Amino acid sequence: MAFRVVHYINQFFANVGGEEMAHIPAELREGKVGPGMAFETAWKGEAVIVNTIVCGDSYFAEHEKEAKEQVVAWVKEINPDMFIAGPAFNAGRYGYACANIALEVKQQLGIPVLTGMYEENPGADYKDKILITPTANSAAGMRKAAPTMAALALKLMKGEKLGASCEDGYMPNGIRVNFFEKERGAKRAVKMLLNKINGKPFVTEFPMPNFDRVEPGKAIPDMSKVVLGLATSGGIVSKGNPDRIEASNASHYGEYDIEGWDALTSEGWETAHGGYDPVYANEDPNRVMPIDVLRQMEREGKIGKLHRYFYSTVGNGTAVASSRKFAEEYAQKMLQAGVQACIMTST
Amino acid sequence: MKSPHRIRIITNNPLVKTVLSDYYTIEYYEDLSLREILVKVRDLVYSGYELFTHPMAGSVKPNETMFKSIVVGTDMKGVEIAHCNLMMNALITCDKFKPLGVQYSDYHIKDFQLIDYTLLCGALDFDAIAGLSKANF
Amino acid sequence: MKLELGFIKINDVQFSNECAVKDGILYVNPEDVKAFIYDNDDVKTYIKSITLDIAKPGESVRITPVKDVIEPRCKVAGPGGMFPGVISKVDTVGSGRTHVLKGAAIVTAGKIVGFQEGIIDMSGEGAKYTPFSKTLNLVMVAEPVEGTKQHDYERAVRFAGLRCATFVGALGKDVEPDEVKTFETYGIMEGAKLFPDLPRVGYVHMLQTQGLLHDTYVYGVDAKRIVSTLLYPTETMDGAILSGNCVSACDKNTTYHHLNNPVVAELFEQHGKTLNYVCNIITNENVYLADKQRGSDWSAKLAKLLDLDAVIVSEEGFGNPDADLIMNCVKQEKQGIKTVLITDEYAGCDGKSQSLADSDPLADAVVTAGNANMEVVLPPMDKVIGMLDYVDYCSGGHAGSLRPDGSIEAELQIITGATNEMGFNCMSAR
Repeated sequence: MAFRVVHYINQFFANVGGEEMAHIPAELREGKVGPGMAFETAWKGEAVIVNTIVCGDSYFAEHEKEAKEQVVAWVKEINPDMFIAGPAFNAGRYGYACANIALEVKQQLGIPVLTGMYEENPGADYKDKILITPTANSAAGMRKAAPTMAALALKLMKGEKLGASCEDGYMPNGIRVNFFEKERGAKRAVKMLLNKINGKPFVTEFPMPNFDRVEPGKAIPDMSKVVLGLATSGGIVSKGNPDRIEASNASHYGEYDIEGWDALTSEGWETAHGGYDPVYANEDPNRVMPIDVLRQMEREGKIGKLHRYFYSTVGNGTAVASSRKFAEEYAQKMLQAGVQACIMTST
Repeated sequence: MKSPHRIRIITNNPLVKTVLSDYYTIEYYEDLSLREILVKVRDLVYSGYELFTHPMAGSVKPNETMFKSIVVGTDMKGVEIAHCNLMMNALITCDKFKPLGVQYSDYHIKDFQLIDYTLLCGALDFDAIAGLSKANF
Repeated sequence: MKLELGFIKINDVQFSNECAVKDGILYVNPEDVKAFIYDNDDVKTYIKSITLDIAKPGESVRITPVKDVIEPRCKVAGPGGMFPGVISKVDTVGSGRTHVLKGAAIVTAGKIVGFQEGIIDMSGEGAKYTPFSKTLNLVMVAEPVEGTKQHDYERAVRFAGLRCATFVGALGKDVEPDEVKTFETYGIMEGAKLFPDLPRVGYVHMLQTQGLLHDTYVYGVDAKRIVSTLLYPTETMDGAILSGNCVSACDKNTTYHHLNNPVVAELFEQHGKTLNYVCNIITNENVYLADKQRGSDWSAKLAKLLDLDAVIVSEEGFGNPDADLIMNCVKQEKQGIKTVLITDEYAGCDGKSQSLADSDPLADAVVTAGNANMEVVLPPMDKVIGMLDYVDYCSGGHAGSLRPDGSIEAELQIITGATNEMGFNCMSAR
C-alpha cells in the first residue's frame, strides 16, 4: 500500500489568489493540489497525497495559534505517514508558516515532516529543528526541488537512515553525518584551494561555528554615576511565572519590577528555565540574577543605581532570531530609561 | 629544562608529584577528576593567571585517561581572552565524550599516568626518562 | 630536487624459503627477515620474540593493536638511503631513484601501553574505513622482554618495523619497475621563471609532537625540538618523516601515510599545470603554548618569505592540534596567503557536538575526513593477528566493546587510518 501524505500549501500555490487572498483561513481539501502533483509524479505510486491543506499566509501569521490547532487536528484525524509543507522558495511569510506548521506537527504528532525553501528565507532559521530542502529563490525551482524532496520524504517514510545533508538534499542541521565522497580528501583540498585562489565559488565541508560576535562597548571608568540595567537568559521570573515564559524555545521575555527588593527571595522568585537543574536557582534566585550584591554595591556607592526593571527570558533552545528581537526591544526600553550599562547573566 | 620560576603545575597525577616535586612547584590534587582539574585551571585562567600548556594535550581521550597536568603562572597577569577560550573549549570537548564504563586495572592506570607525565615533560623540556629512573618507575 | 619513483606492482605475498620479488609476487623467508630485524641493539635488548604473519585483502582477518604501517621502499640511485637518520645515514634524501613495492605494506602490531589501539580488518564493515585492508600486509607482532620500559619498547618496535620494511624494500632493488614517475620541484628563482603565471602553493604539514607515543621524527630528530622548517616534497617519499605516534588510530599519520602523503601527490598532480608547487613547510603540534605560537609564526614567516599565494594545511590528531591548525590558518590568511585546511571531527556519537576544539571565521575552506565518534560494528573474524585483550580499553572502545562472539562495537576512532587528516580517504561528513 502506498504511503499517505498530507501536504500544506498557501493560497498562491493553491491558485486561490495572491496577496489579496492571503487572509483566507485554513481549509482541508481532498487529494493533491498544485505543486503536490510534482511529488506524486516522483513517487511513482509509492506514496500519495491524501489531503492538501490550503492556508493564507496572512491568516497564519495573524492567527498562528488557531491555524496550528486546526491543522494539527486535521492531520491527527487523517493519520498520515508524513507531513510536507511547501516548498516556499523565497516567500518569507510562506516560509515562516511552512517551518512553524511542520515543527508543530512534528512535536505534536511525532510523524516525519519536511519542507523546502530558499536558504535566505527567514523560515530557514528552523533548519536545526526540522528537515528543510534548500531550493531556488523562485517557484521556477520546483522542477529541481520536487524530486529531491520526494526522494527524501520517501526515505523518511520508509524509516531509512538519513544520509549526509549533501547526499539527501536537506540544509545542514547541525548533525554531522559521515559519507563517502567520490574523491579523496587531499584531491578535494587541492580543488578547493584552486577555486579559492582563482576567486571561484567553493563550499567548505565544515562550516566553522558561527558565533554572532559583538564588539564590546567602551569601558566605563566610573561606575559610581551609572544607571545599571540587568538582563538574563537564565529564566528568573516572579513566582508563578505570570508571563508564562516557556521552559524552552521561549517566544517572549518578561519585564520585572525590583523596586523595594533588597535581594531576590525564593518566596517571590523562581526560574522558568527547563535546561538546567532549577533547585539551586529556586533556592536562591540571586545565583542567576545577583540583585543581593548589586544592591550592596548600590549602597556602597560603587554603582550609581540599579534600573527599576530587569528583563528575563529562557535561553534554552531559543532561536537566535527570537533572542535578537527580544534584546532589540528591551535595549530600547533601557535606553529610554537612561540605563548606561547592562549586565547580562546566563546559565 | 624550562625555568621552574613563576610557574606551577596543577595536577592529579601522582607520578608527576613524585618525579617533578624536586624541580617544579606542584599543586597536587589527589581527589580531583580530570574534569575538575580543567575546571580548577579554567577558574585560575579566568581570574587572570597565565596559561602555559594546552589543556587538551595528548590524543588519549578525556573519557579514557583520568590524569591531567597543566602548567599555569604563579602571578596574576590579567585575563587573556585567548586562554579563556582554550579553557572553555577544553571543557566543551571533555564533555562531549561519553563515559565508557571501563574498569581499569593498576597496570592501565600507571600507563595513563606515564602518558600524562611524558606530555608534561615534553612541554617543559624535562628529560622524562631520566626522571623516571630516579623515581624507580 | 628531482626524484624518480619506480613502482613495482605487488600482486601477492607468500612465505617461502627464499626472499625475492618475482613476477609481481613478494616471497619472504621469515627467518631471514627476523635475522635482519634483530641485527640491532635496541631490538636485541628489548624484544623477546617476533612473529611474522600475512594478511591479504578480503580475508577474514583482524590485525590489532596496530602500531605503524610502513611501505617497503628502496633507494636505488642518488644520495642517502631509506629512513635517513634512523636506518640509513643522515644524508639528505629526495633525489635520484627509489623503488616502491606497490601494494605491499609492513604492519607492526603489539601492545606498548595498556590501552593500545588500532584495528585493521581485511574484510567486512571495518575494511571500508581503513586503507590497509587493500594492501598485502606482512604483519610483524613483537613481544617485549619482561620488565622492558614502555619508551624503550616503543623505540625498539619502531626500529624493528623500519628494519623489516628496509629488508623487504631492498628486495625490489634490482627489479624492473612496472611504472616510473618523476617528481620535481624547483628552486625559488627557477620555479618563478618556469611558471611565471601560476600561483605559488606550499603545503604546511603539521606533525604530531607531544610526548611518548605522540611523536614524529624528521631525519631522526624528535620533531618536538624543531622550529618550523622547509622540506622538498620528495624528501618525505624517501622516509625523511617517520611516525612514532601510537595514539588516536583513526587520525594518526603512519609512516606509510608520510611516504605516500596524499597532499604531496595531489599537488604534484597539478604542479606546472594549475599551480607551482614550491615546497613543504613542516611544523609541530607542541603542548607548550609559546611553542605553538612560535611554530605557527614561523610557518607563516616561511610562507611569506617564499612569496607563497596559498597553502594547504594538514593536521594530525585531536584536541591540542586543533589549536595549531587554527593558528596556522589565521596567521597565513592574515598575511594574504589563502588556506585550505584538512581535519577530522569529534562531533559525538550523535553528530551534534562541536566538532573541533578551536575555530575561527577565517577558516572558511575546510576539508573534513569525517566524524571519528561515529559508531561501527565490526563482525567477528576467523583469525586475529595480535591480541584482542585491549579492545575495551582503547580509544573508541568501551566496556563491552568486544562481544562474546568476537564482534566489536566501537567508534570509528579505533580503526587505523579511518579519518586520516592528510585526506588519504574518500570519507567525509556534512
